[in-house]
Amino acid sequence: MQCNEVFLCSRLKNMNAAPVASHSCTTTILLNASGAIGLLFYRPCVFCNAVLQTIFKSNLSKNVGVFPAEYKSEPPSVRRNKSSIRDILLGTKNVFLNFIHNSAAIFLPLLLFFCNAETIAQEGSANKLVINFKNMVGGQLLQTDSVYTNTFGETFTVRTFKYYISNIVLSDDATGKKQFYKDQYFLVDEDDSTSKKIELTTTLNSITSVNFLLGVDSLKNVSGIQTGNLDPAKGMFWTWNTGYVMAKLEGNSPVAKTPQHAFSYHVGGYKKNEQTVRQINLVLPQKLICENAAVQLTVQANILAWFNTMNAIKIGDVAFCHEPGMLAVRLADNYSKMFKVVQ
Amino acid sequence: MKLITTILIFVTLFVVGVSWVANTSRTHPITFVVPKGWPQPVYDFKQNPLTQEGFDLGKKLFYDGRLSKDGNFPCASCHQQFAAFATYDHNLSHGYNNSFTRRNAPPLFNLAWQKEFMWDGGINHLDLQPLAPITDTNEMAETIQNVLGKLKKDTAYRRMFKAAFGDENITTQRMTKALSQFVVMMVSANSKYDRVMRGEDSFNLPQRLGYEIFKRKCVSCHTEPLFTDLSYRNTGLATDDYLHDIGRMKITNDAKDSLKFKVPSLRNAAVTAPYGHDGRFASLLRVMMFYNSGVLNSATTDSLVRRGIPLSNYEIGQLTAFIYTLTDSSFLKDPRFAPPGYESRTQQAPIEHIH
Ligand code: HEC
Ligand code: HEC
Repeated sequence: MQCNEVFLCSRLKNMNAAPVASHSCTTTILLNASGAIGLLFYRPCVFCNAVLQTIFKSNLSKNVGVFPAEYKSEPPSVRRNKSSIRDILLGTKNVFLNFIHNSAAIFLPLLLFFCNAETIAQEGSANKLVINFKNMVGGQLLQTDSVYTNTFGETFTVRTFKYYISNIVLSDDATGKKQFYKDQYFLVDEDDSTSKKIELTTTLNSITSVNFLLGVDSLKNVSGIQTGNLDPAKGMFWTWNTGYVMAKLEGNSPVAKTPQHAFSYHVGGYKKNEQTVRQINLVLPQKLICENAAVQLTVQANILAWFNTMNAIKIGDVAFCHEPGMLAVRLADNYSKMFKVVQ
Repeated sequence: MKLITTILIFVTLFVVGVSWVANTSRTHPITFVVPKGWPQPVYDFKQNPLTQEGFDLGKKLFYDGRLSKDGNFPCASCHQQFAAFATYDHNLSHGYNNSFTRRNAPPLFNLAWQKEFMWDGGINHLDLQPLAPITDTNEMAETIQNVLGKLKKDTAYRRMFKAAFGDENITTQRMTKALSQFVVMMVSANSKYDRVMRGEDSFNLPQRLGYEIFKRKCVSCHTEPLFTDLSYRNTGLATDDYLHDIGRMKITNDAKDSLKFKVPSLRNAAVTAPYGHDGRFASLLRVMMFYNSGVLNSATTDSLVRRGIPLSNYEIGQLTAFIYTLTDSSFLKDPRFAPPGYESRTQQAPIEHIH
């Protein structure tokens, strides 16, 4: 369940809880007349974390219940109380989470009622950011019928080139503000020009770096059937050995010792020692000011990196990668170096 | 201003309330009953609440040949009720274009307690299981897109998806969740053994002796009440030099897992012949003769069977008598799982087998 609107009490708003990001989780914040706070959250987003922090700082109430569901950066005051809170809540956590899940529909109106709520408008106007992915071979824009040469002198053509981009984080290093796009998965596919434009809404005033995962995090690999870009029908999924193919590169090369001289690298694997998700951190050449309605960024993905950045991988030696393991990891190390940001 | 807000709030409350009530009354929830004394299932029903509509849709899909490329291989072609949803009398099952599966089709029941599926545990969620046979060229040989395309063209399916999920959208997720609703309901827990455990029946002498032997020699792997501990073990079967099946190692890439396979449940074993991951044993007798004298030792052979499991002919007879008490005929004849149109007739295994 995803709610994109936040209902909060006017009191909270008066406290100057500055939202740094759009709300994108299922956190519900209850604040009753006496000032006692109940926080029910399920993987809080940046927005909610910011609000929570303000609440904790202003020490509004001792009567705080927190339900952290696997989230790395809990507010400091939560961390201090962690063990005791954990102890008390461990037993009730699951019951509660279910309860929230099932009863959110009833809960929200109630909340509204008790809080005399207002919908907080986003502070800092929202701008659109478009990240354009450009697939390259060396300095040239990829054309699926052109012949290219890698650093080993092997000539090749490319038929398919696809990769998952997820968990994007935009940061403004000057102010330390970050904006997270959790639970958003993009599949960049050379064959589908719309997939090469990722549109985000940002409330940051400026951006100095862009971080994301190349691939699909482990959690989604063990959580059963998904929809949207993670739909297994997208063909980026291993059915017999559950897991997503993080990136796929297919083509032909005369040196490939296979039928039709085809090579195909399907890189996946999320388990220990087989991890092929890579964290990509791109620092912008210059600060990007988000003042126009739509700002643009271009991220280039260079296919040549697949062959010789961290590891030397020759098409003539290995033309197939179709399962998790050593080869997939080596290819992943290589593709972790394929991105470059241009403005 | 205040007044307007309050009115708005009440309107919201009302609308949400009404739509909530309307929503829940459209589907008919069904409950999953955990047999007394059994562990809690691992399947997360909250992610896929069972409803009669979802179950009916799952059943239709399970028995529908259109999920396969040429229409001949529904799930049920390999998973037959009279064989406890294994393939009757086949070591390997038939797939598209005269192909064969690479392993023996396991029976389907008590899946709600399994975290991993297939002989090697390669699939980590029941909702993902159908994608493997649908896309495998040795089985149904279709693409997910094509299957969804066929379903979308069929008004009956559109109606059933709407009934089960609220609208006519037909997606991979809804399809596999519906299939899960059908197969997860297959619980086999009403054999003579279960009745004896519940104090409603009693073993005869050979059965009782067989149970005693079982508890000494087999139960550490074929653990009650599921009759499997769901671990992966190498019982010392020689590798087939055509199939070259390395078992669990195919999934983990770990040499320690070489030749290990998931311990199969022995419930309904009397009707699931042939046996073993590649169906090499034609009968229970053959399996037991193997434990007695056929175990091959290699680096990963399980310590419990390294010296074989000595079994006299008497013991084999008594163990067989016990294993027969694990047959759950109410499950094998349960009309809820029967092929559509055969709910009132009992399906029999064919007397003369034709493939
Ligand atoms: C062509 C025969 C065939 C068809 C068709 C088929 N299966 Fe299977 N099924 C098998 C075989 C063989 C295995 C074991 C495969 C392995 O372990 O590698 C299996 C395994 C399974 C398992 C795992 C059982 C366990 O205990 O691990 C489930 C669940 C299952 N099938 C459900 C289905 C469903 C649902 C369908 C239809 C979408 C289906 N099967 C279609 C042959 C088939
Ligand atoms: C070390 C663990 C272990 C012990 C002990 C053990 N088994 Fe098994 N059993 C297995 C495994 C693993 C398989 C699957 C083997 C394969 O096909 O690779 C199996 C398969 C079987 C099968 C075939 C089932 C099917 O559906 O294919 C039967 C029957 C069986 N065992 C009976 C017994 C009996 C009777 C005993 C006691 C005398 C026993 N087992 C002891 C692990 C064990």
